[in-house]
Amino acid sequence: MRYTPKTLKTNVNVSPSSPVKELLLLLTGALAILILLYLALGFCVDLIAPKISPRLEERLGGLFSQFYADELHTTETERLQRLLDEEVKELPEKRLNYSVHLVENNQINAIALPGGHIVVFTGLLKEINTDDALAFVLGHELGHFIHHDHLRGLGRGLTLWALSAFLLGADNSVTTFLGHSLLGIQMKYTRQQETQADMFALEITHRTFHNVSGAVEFMQQLAEKEKRGPLAYYFATHPYPKDRIADIEEEIREKGYSLFKKN
Amino acid sequence: MEELIIIIVLIAIGYFFGSYAEAKHYRAIAHWERLLLKLPVVTSKNMLDPDREIEKAALVTGNVVVSIDYFKRFLAILRNLFGGQVKSYESLVDRARREAIIRMKKQAGRRTDIILNLRIETTTIGRNANQDKGIGSIEAIAYGTAVTYRKTDEIHP
Repeated sequence: MRYTPKTLKTNVNVSPSSPVKELLLLLTGALAILILLYLALGFCVDLIAPKISPRLEERLGGLFSQFYADELHTTETERLQRLLDEEVKELPEKRLNYSVHLVENNQINAIALPGGHIVVFTGLLKEINTDDALAFVLGHELGHFIHHDHLRGLGRGLTLWALSAFLLGADNSVTTFLGHSLLGIQMKYTRQQETQADMFALEITHRTFHNVSGAVEFMQQLAEKEKRGPLAYYFATHPYPKDRIADIEEEIREKGYSLFKKN
Repeated sequence: MEELIIIIVLIAIGYFFGSYAEAKHYRAIAHWERLLLKLPVVTSKNMLDPDREIEKAALVTGNVVVSIDYFKRFLAILRNLFGGQVKSYESLVDRARREAIIRMKKQAGRRTDIILNLRIETTTIGRNANQDKGIGSIEAIAYGTAVTYRKTDEIHP
């Protein structure tokens, strides 16, 4: 037998493919599956959140107690608690023990944690200090409780974390990162949720104090503080304060809430 | 978050250096395959020339270890989700096998007339080659019997 040496022109053992294209295709597919799963689980969370009992919610709230572990006990705390108590009296049913915690932090923010805990940052107190405006903020957080927004947020955060733990493993860096930012995720409400909380705050301040002057005052102060453009706000979760002001003003007109304090 | 960035950087490094190394390796493989083309290698055991006397028969081996890079591994992990051909590993195995044969031929030397009974085996190095944090390598070993016939002028001096 004769041996005729010759080189192969093509290589059948390696598929001709663009690895970058393949990566993008696979990543898109994986992301699509993840998004679908997340949406489906998020839908389930929305169904379950309103059915969580106050007892379970209080236990869940215990998980977040570290966020107000070094809370301040000052006259300001008492004042906020008094304002909140007055509003709570007007609630149709008192599901939870609502309490205010004042925490030293420069953020101009307040958050609703499971179990009826409202954390107010001192940064907020520096910006607004009238009873009416503070009552509106507390009413807004109460609104989140009434609409179960905080539980939905927590559920969504947990969903994301569970997905990550399932796909990447519990000790994966992404999972750990998500675990640490659970609070951040749960605080991100949709624009609709924020608007609904605003509407609730208007109603409760109207019922408690018979005027809603604090709402407009608060929103205007926020709008001045936020000098960012509307584009940056497009991706943010808090509706652009100017939009919120417009919504609030419309609601005030429609419901005929009083803007003036009765002395 | 920074760990995520590290992973992305590793994948990018894997892609750029991996592609560079692979292109370079393929050029070297093509070069050596051309140089060693004249030495036939067959998988059959029975391809001896009955008319010629065997001067020497020896076991020749060639082996090589090629590492997976982060990019290829990431692609393969994504493939695990959907199924299908793991194309990113194909070139790796191909390179390892061909390089092993080249090294085996080099070991056989110029005087060898034919290498019979070629066998190629592959194995992964690093037990968690395709799991968690481990970046594995692939080893290919090629072995056969190098046969040298006695030259005719040596038989009749």
